[in-house]
This record gives sequence, structure tokens and C-alpha cells, in this order.
Amino acid sequence: MTSLLTIEDLRITFPSRQGPSEVVRGVSFTLGRERLGIVGESGSGKSQTGRAILGLTPPPGKATARVLDFDGTDLRAASAATWRRLRGARMSMVMQDPKFSLNPVMTIGRQLMEALKFGASETRAEARTRALAMLEAVQIRDPERVFRAYPHELSGGMGQRAMIAMMLVAEPDLLIADEPTSALDVTVQVEVLRILDRLVSERGMGLLFISHDLRLVSSFCDRVLVMYAGRVVEELKASELTQAQHPYTRGLMNCLPKIEGGQRPLPTLERDAAWAR
Amino acid sequence: MGEVMLQVADLAVTFRRGGDAVHAVQDVSFSVAQGESFGIVGESGSGKSTVLRAICALAPTSAGTIRLRDAPLATPRPARFFRQVQMVFQDPYASLHPRHTIDRVLSEPLAIHGFDRREERIERALEEVGLGGGFRFRYPHQLSGGQRQRVAVARALILEPEVLLLDEPTSALDASIQAEVLNLLDRLRAERGLTYVMVSHDLAVVAHMCDRLMVMQHGRAIEELSRAALAAHRAETDYTRKLLSASEGYTPAEAS
Repeated sequence: MTSLLTIEDLRITFPSRQGPSEVVRGVSFTLGRERLGIVGESGSGKSQTGRAILGLTPPPGKATARVLDFDGTDLRAASAATWRRLRGARMSMVMQDPKFSLNPVMTIGRQLMEALKFGASETRAEARTRALAMLEAVQIRDPERVFRAYPHELSGGMGQRAMIAMMLVAEPDLLIADEPTSALDVTVQVEVLRILDRLVSERGMGLLFISHDLRLVSSFCDRVLVMYAGRVVEELKASELTQAQHPYTRGLMNCLPKIEGGQRPLPTLERDAAWAR
Repeated sequence: MGEVMLQVADLAVTFRRGGDAVHAVQDVSFSVAQGESFGIVGESGSGKSTVLRAICALAPTSAGTIRLRDAPLATPRPARFFRQVQMVFQDPYASLHPRHTIDRVLSEPLAIHGFDRREERIERALEEVGLGGGFRFRYPHQLSGGQRQRVAVARALILEPEVLLLDEPTSALDASIQAEVLNLLDRLRAERGLTYVMVSHDLAVVAHMCDRLMVMQHGRAIEELSRAALAAHRAETDYTRKLLSASEGYTPAEAS
């Protein structure tokens, strides 16, 4: 498989009063045209890893890497013009909460059209048709209404789908989805995942799926990276998650309650200081 | 089954604004025995949290009755009610006052209800939720999400209530922290013979915590089933089956 994205030794540091604190400490992986999951708890560095790929590490944070390569482009030395060409058109990101990531004073339609403006040269009418078709593709029943609506007029699930439409309308090669379904109901979640799945299998998009939900990731992705304290502690095939070796991965699996019933009390995760080293 | 602790009959909650009426809850009935743990499951907007809020009179009851130990509840609820029924909210980041120390958070309900030996009660409440006295004079921002939710549980339990209403108590927490908080709630129920009504969108959490559960959709109760029935996937309605299969994880394609 040709790799779309290659990362070696990614490190992200934030200055703090106690000196620089490293939140991502030497993460390496490659992503082809597949579904790769990154799982970890809050603070494990999974979201920062995703942001760094798009050059969106919030200041004063600094991201450094030995290799950070997207389809032949070295992202470490990318100029502002290069970033403009890549972001939106070739790689984009779906954030967790539509409430904070959509522009509240622009209609959904205008935001979608804005995403298209940087893409192919086409007329306004063509762009509009494409935007409406994309809204329909993310299972929005009444695309005309949503096109005219402001973000506050939509429910959480609708807003999230509108945002996914916005990210996908330019047909990127790489999509970084940071907890794209955590704010959604389980039944809507499945629909959104089907859309992403179709894009990977039909259009050959690369998907980096960041989530805290191990059960979901293992059923959706091809491969899973498990992060703990800024490091990848284990990489495995999603289908082989039950045979995970690392005690952290196993702990995460075991502490989930099961519908079929199970142990009571639930096993809790005993953290070992050695995992973070 | 023991004595009926809480009985909700034909509950309806309607929010009116201008000419619009939103029927958030319609014809919901259930009863919870003393010492039982009852779950309410549904998606956002199904009215599950509104049922809990209506019990506490945080939402207006437009029809139906709510009885606690076979006595109908007066509106507004008397102070006595809150010594019997307490609520734990979803988001521990929003439900604790950011500028009050844990000590103040816990002593306020004691002062309102005129409890004695406050020092001792606060120390014990913190001990019981596994925090210890060292946390007493901290502010919420100095605690993690799991620790904050423990404080919220301590605040609810400090009045020694009989019924605890839990509104998505772990959905803002990491899986490993969720397990700790669920274990804590389980242990407290066993030790004190508490009655729980727990709302969640997570079927697995409800299956773990509750003896019986009710599924809600569009403001109506559509099915009531036991933990055993849920574990065996013996659901009556299509909607519950859909929820069950969705909570098992992702399935590539199905005729939906």
C-alpha cells in the first residue's frame, strides 16, 4: 500500500512554568488509503497529534518531527502558500463539537460554498449544486432548508453532518476526524460512520479517526494506535484488539460495562508509571 | 420487590413559548421499588432528562402525578423533599461552582437543611466517595473530571437521601474513570440501600447499573424491560433493537 502520510518522531511541546512540557513524545506512523484509529484517554495527546498534521498546533505549542510527509510534500517546511493549497482541498479535519467549529453568523450554505471556492474552478450554480448534493450525501433530509439555515437553527446531529459535508465537499485525500461522532446519538453515529466508510472504500480517502471509544474504533477502523501519555504504546489490527498485549489496552477494554452483563464491580485501570516512560 | 418508593403516572411535560408548545414528555408511567435501580434510556431529545427534572420540579408538570412513598408531591417541592431525593448532574465541569471550595459546596446543603456536626459530615462524605480530607479546601479547577463527579455524588449524599436521580453521571468521563464512578455508585447503593433512577444514552452503562429499564423515544415510553431481557437481546420494539445493535459498535451496512 502506498502511504499518504508518513510521520516519524513527532514531538509537541508546550512551555509551562515548570519548563517545557512534552504532550506528544515521539509518535511515528504511516497512513495509507485506509481507516486508522487513534485511541486514548483525555490528555493522551491524540488530538494534538491530529492537529499537528494540519499545522494547527495552537501557539505557544511547538511541533517538531524527523519526518512529516504528506504525499510527497514535506510539511515541516511548508510555507503559508503551501498550507493554503493543502488545507481544505487535500486534507481537512472534522472537529468534535459543531457548536464551536461552525461560524455562528454565516449560513451553512455560505460556509459550504466558501470551502468550494478554493477548489476547482466552477460557476456559482455548479458549486451550489455540488454543495446541496453533499448535504444530501450526509443524510440531511431537507438540504435546501439546511443550506439556508444558521448553525443555531440546527440540532447537534445536523450541525455535525453539515460540518462533515463541509470538510468532504472539496473531496480531500486525507481526513482527520477528531471524535466526529462523540456528540451524536448512537443511531446517528452509525449513519455518519457509513458516510466516512464509503468515502474510504469508494474514493480511496485516507482517514485518521481519533476517538476515546475503543469499542467503536475497533469495529470501524482497519488499524488502531493506542496512545498513553503522549506515546503510542501499542499498534494492532482492529480485528485483533481482543488479543492486545499492552496492559493499558487491556485495561481500557475490560473497564467498559457490557450489555450482556459481566463482572461487578467493574475492573478498574491500574496505571503503571512504567507505561509513561 | 419491596415497597414502592417512587411512582410516576401519566406524566406529561409541555414547554410553551408564544404559540408554540413542545411536548417533551407524554404519558410516561413507571414505578421504582425501594432499593431498586431503574434506568431510563433514550437519545437526545427523547425526554429522558426531563422526566428526572420533572420529579425535582425543575421542569413543569403539565399532567399526571408523581408520588414519593405513596404521598403526592406538592409544587414547589418542600425542603423535606430534597432531603429524600437528590440529583447528580451530567457535567461535573458545569455543576460545581467554580469559585466555591469543595468545603463550601458540601456545607451549603447542610446549612440550608439545618444539619448538625457539619465538620464530621463533610469529612465522612469525602471519605465515602474515595477522596479523603485532603480535597476539602480545593477548588473545582484543581480536580479532574472523575474527582469532580465524586464531589457531586458527595454533595448529593451528604443530606442522606433515600433516592438518587442520576442524569448521565458518567458520560463526560473517560472509560476508565467511568468504571470507577460506576463502582462507587454501586457500592453506595448496596451500603445504604439507596434507590436510583438513572438516565443514560449508553445501554451498556444502564444494563450494568440497573435492574429494570425503560426506553424512551420522542417523549414517550416505548418499552420497559428487565436487565436479563436486555442482556439476552429480547427487545419488543424495533427502536430498542436498533439501539441495541448500534451500541454494539459499527456494522458496515444493513438494510436500514
